[in-house]
Amino acid sequence: MSEAIVLEVRHITRRFGGLYAVDNVSFAVQRGEIFGLIGPNGAGKTTLFNVITGMTPPTHGELFYEGINITNKRPHEIAMLGVARTFQNIRLFGTLTALENVMIARHIHTKSGVLEGVLGLPPAPQEERAVRQRAMELLELVGLAEAAEMQARNFSYGDQRRLEIARALALEPKLLLLDEPAAGMNQNEKSALSAFIRSIREQFNLTIVLIEHYVPLVMGLCDRIAVLNFGQLIALGAPEAVQNDPAVIEAYLGE
Amino acid sequence: MEGFFSTYGAAIVQMALAGVLALSLYLPLMAGQLSLASPGFYAVGGYVAALLSTQVFTGYPNGSYPIPLIALEMIVAGVISAIFAILIGIPSLRLRGIYLALATIAFVEILRVFALNQPWLGGAVGIYNIPQPFFSATRVEYLLLALPLLLGATLFVARLERSRIGRAFIALREDELAASAMGIRPTYYKVLAFTIGAILAGMAGALNAHILNTWNARQGTFDLAILILAYVLVGGSRTFLGPVIGGAFLVALPEIILREVAGTPGLNPVIATFLRDGRLILFGVLIAVSVFFFPYGLITPNLFKRRKKSAEPSVETATAAPKVSRGEL
Repeated sequence: MSEAIVLEVRHITRRFGGLYAVDNVSFAVQRGEIFGLIGPNGAGKTTLFNVITGMTPPTHGELFYEGINITNKRPHEIAMLGVARTFQNIRLFGTLTALENVMIARHIHTKSGVLEGVLGLPPAPQEERAVRQRAMELLELVGLAEAAEMQARNFSYGDQRRLEIARALALEPKLLLLDEPAAGMNQNEKSALSAFIRSIREQFNLTIVLIEHYVPLVMGLCDRIAVLNFGQLIALGAPEAVQNDPAVIEAYLGE
Repeated sequence: MEGFFSTYGAAIVQMALAGVLALSLYLPLMAGQLSLASPGFYAVGGYVAALLSTQVFTGYPNGSYPIPLIALEMIVAGVISAIFAILIGIPSLRLRGIYLALATIAFVEILRVFALNQPWLGGAVGIYNIPQPFFSATRVEYLLLALPLLLGATLFVARLERSRIGRAFIALREDELAASAMGIRPTYYKVLAFTIGAILAGMAGALNAHILNTWNARQGTFDLAILILAYVLVGGSRTFLGPVIGGAFLVALPEIILREVAGTPGLNPVIATFLRDGRLILFGVLIAVSVFFFPYGLITPNLFKRRKKSAEPSVETATAAPKVSRGEL
């Protein structure tokens, strides 16, 4: 396994009854790249994300992250290895504040147990301060610092997506999976998002896989793009090459 | 005041214990798990104290049983309840919602039938003559033990709620899948919350065995599970204060408040009689009404936030301004 490969998807199939949501898909994501996953509705993009993060076990195939076989690992184990994600249908902790949402995601980088936390014994107080500070920094980064004490469910769609990114970054991941990060954002927010994703890649040394419907965003942002249609990988390559691929044009426009 | 305590001493002590039991149900609920197993651990704790005090720590004349021994029994009861909780929690916490509630009720029933048929637990009669630390008709002295237990449990849960572990519980309650994507091990934290709750219930049972002077299979049954659930739901299930207030209030309501109201001088005798004899009917009606008017319980976290804001209006307006500009972006 090459050191340059962060995530390798090998012949992954996920069947729901007779439906092949993901059908024998293979690709490898290089370290530091922004990898786009596109395809029409129902092509299996989110299912593939769920398989990668351990939320849906694959029917066949294997997954490797940093050379480790993660095929049968549980979601929390995969998160602990350094894979963070956001959700297409935003899954924030709605009744908690923005700050608490991000603080929760510092879980794996802290270790105080029940007694330390309750009695205020070391390392709990120091950890608590550090967690709060780190969470505030991340909220600052996504531009939500002044709304830190607001309940997450009261945020606008775009802000909720930004908060999900801040929460995912709190895990200090090496691989970040973004499921439709631009959905629900307006035009200005979408163009700002593109620059933002590039900047967090630099700042946190991330490898990013993103699912997106908004084509200009994908074309301008991604180093490589994989196209799924009916669960199958129909194209993989640089944005320009994929854009002109007859199979892709057919999948999107029909014959 | 002395008359009040001599009349209601036992009820006041039970108010404190109800708070502890409510916290024991609130803990798994904090991690999103509806468990009705608290009475089971409460029963186990009671039997532990009953056995220890009548068969192991013998030789103390009634009325002078040492309080440190009761504390020791409570600790042993807590440990044994914890072991039970881990053994039961690991398989049963795979179930969700109403199915978990059903499985935990089954556990309570199994314990009851088991206790009923075990000669060493006294069978149907149970264990009696559990030694008392006080010569007391009113039992109000037991507040010396019940109040520290309630305060300790309340402080514990209050601190836990604001800690790393408490946040992991709450994350599981809010969204288990998202919590696991944040690296939180669902099973571990569910079992942990369940176990801490079991320890509290076991300790409450151990203390109550002394207060009641006897312990049998009628303690800690299905009815108690529903009562405890009412303490939590009426009090409020989103902050530690809810169960504590709910427990105290719902014990006080039929036993103290309605009796006192019935005793108001000059009250129509028909109403007074109804208040006294029909107080359990009124209790049920009031629970139904409170669930209707306070669906999130009497005590909610927002209650404190609003009060904090109105106390510092300048802070609120200062934070409100940038919020607006952000929305316009």
